[in-house]
Amino acid sequence: MAVYEIINGLAQAIGPAGAEGGAATLAAQLLGDFVPVRRDALGNVIAEFGKKDAKEHILLDAHIDEIGMIVTYIDDDGFLHISGCGGADRRTMIDAEVYVHGESKLPGVICCMPPHLTDPANRSKVPDWDGIYIDIGYNAEKARELVPLGSRVIVRSKPIKLIGGKICAKSLDNRAGAAALIRVVELLHGEIDKLPCRVSVLLSTREEVGGQGATTAAFALAPTQAVAVDVSFARQPGAPSGSCGVMSSGPMIGYSPILDLRVTEHLRSLCKEKSIPWQNEIMGGGTGTNADKISVSRGGVRTGLVSIPQRNMHTAVEIVDPEDVENTAQLLAAFVRSGGANIDN
Amino acid sequence: MQTLITKLEKLSHLSGISGREDAVREYILKEIAPYCEDVMVDAAGCVLAKKKGARPAEKRLMLAAHMDEVGLIITRICEDGLLAFAPVGGIDPRVICGKTVTVGENRIPGAIGIVPIHLSSDKSSVPNIDSMYIDIGTTSKEESEKYVTPGDYAVFDTVFEPFGDGLLKGKALDDRAGCAIMLELMKRDFPNDVYFAFTTMEEVGTRGAKCAAFTLQPDYAIVLESTTAADIAGVAEASKVCKVGKGAVVGFMDRSTIYDRELYQRTLDIARDKNISCQIKQAVAGGNDSGAIHQSRGGVRTMAISLPCRYLHAPASVIAKSDFEAVCELSYQLALSILAN
Repeated sequence: MAVYEIINGLAQAIGPAGAEGGAATLAAQLLGDFVPVRRDALGNVIAEFGKKDAKEHILLDAHIDEIGMIVTYIDDDGFLHISGCGGADRRTMIDAEVYVHGESKLPGVICCMPPHLTDPANRSKVPDWDGIYIDIGYNAEKARELVPLGSRVIVRSKPIKLIGGKICAKSLDNRAGAAALIRVVELLHGEIDKLPCRVSVLLSTREEVGGQGATTAAFALAPTQAVAVDVSFARQPGAPSGSCGVMSSGPMIGYSPILDLRVTEHLRSLCKEKSIPWQNEIMGGGTGTNADKISVSRGGVRTGLVSIPQRNMHTAVEIVDPEDVENTAQLLAAFVRSGGANIDN
Repeated sequence: MQTLITKLEKLSHLSGISGREDAVREYILKEIAPYCEDVMVDAAGCVLAKKKGARPAEKRLMLAAHMDEVGLIITRICEDGLLAFAPVGGIDPRVICGKTVTVGENRIPGAIGIVPIHLSSDKSSVPNIDSMYIDIGTTSKEESEKYVTPGDYAVFDTVFEPFGDGLLKGKALDDRAGCAIMLELMKRDFPNDVYFAFTTMEEVGTRGAKCAAFTLQPDYAIVLESTTAADIAGVAEASKVCKVGKGAVVGFMDRSTIYDRELYQRTLDIARDKNISCQIKQAVAGGNDSGAIHQSRGGVRTMAISLPCRYLHAPASVIAKSDFEAVCELSYQLALSILAN
């Protein structure tokens, strides 16, 4: 399937941290076309294939959960009070259209500050979560009937295609990464019997709230090396250019104190060998991804990180270039075919 | 009711930012043709029309609603292909951050991005509008110039639909709701000729209305508008202004008009006598075409009847079907009363 279509489908699925349901099911279905898939206690989607008794066991991880909000209280006028679930960007929430996933899917609008109550000098400040409310257009009695407390709220956003084929949608963090891994499996499935290593593809849950999905799956799977796939910052106005990659310039290969040098070096040399465009992402410590959790699983796992450049992270208008996702998939397929990095001492 | 809503849906989806109301004007010209005569489009772009009554006008009554909506205008194409813009009409910067728009006549889709919170020192503030930009996916000024031109307008892309319990959600309900009501009223019978003005550029200074009132020379005017309902969580009862679902809004004063006291009282009396749901606007806030109309020539006795509307001047606004109907009925009854006395 064209990578654009995979991303497009996954971006429309619903799967906030801890309630990955719709997104996990869709991803499992897409993977399941090629390899057997199972779920575990925390909802992780896991596909295992390749040479069962191989010395190297490669784990490829991409988190399937998205950021969202959760209903904490319904007031006497029927407005929903909420908290963030994962680091949703409050600055983009005012007057945002959302869906509330209660007994059924309900459209809602996030309230805006009324103009007559806003001091013109203060028109840039956005309230904290306890000052942000959702209007679903019902009175309290009906709202309480329709919306159980703990219901999830996801920003409503249909993917749009921008010039140059870029996709603009919610949850590209990290449906773009998940799409890359689904493409990896698609690329490899004709040669699964000939792979030199054992492979686990993990679409993990709860990355946005602490990485518990990857932590537990890495423990259970016990890989010898791993590559996490996520999104990272693409240059955009206001973002310090030292912290950013460039959209459409290929996967960002992570380089940091906590990432394994040999895995990182192997990823780079595969890019050079296969003429896959790539760029550096150099960080000073933790990466803010599942790589941080996987690399210290059990007695340690040699871990690398590949990120897809993305604009507007944690908003409803995240943007990625599907070419970067495809190149990420090509890189990781090559990584698997090569049997991973040489980590023998 | 359903025709009113169908018309509003159509009007809501049209693009008509102040000064470029063309698409809305064309639709309205087509719709009013069977019901009106002396239809003209004035130099400001307003549609002026006469609905014939049983007799000619003894005193001139003008009904007015504005066709324009707030939106954005592209000011400059940056070297990296991003589009800088300015607001047209009053727009709170917080409501456009992280939203999508369509740019120009070819409706090029774009996103209003923001620096990720992870990289922002201030996680609670949005930038000024003049540091925001629309991203259409291009990477250079040259590439963007193939698709857009400075001066193109960018409009919100909200889908109009029912919402909650008898509510409607869409963009530009201010004041396409007023326009839809005028299209409905035009089909009704009046004892005398009545003048209809679909005005332009209300959002940038009630400019069309000033010209329309001068041309039509009304003695009386009824302005059909939308007004801010702040009946939301976190707002003190005394500051709610008016409430969605509680009826047509009748105001005594706003920031540009003190309404005709006798007409104000008469409107409330009519609402009570005809059992039309009605509420008083509980604030001096906002302004509308009445500001220009009431001081036209030697003065015009003016009343505004408004729809309570949540999230005015933002991509997703909300009104109630029942209020929509109430404003329609109340303005018709007030018109009849003005013509009779």
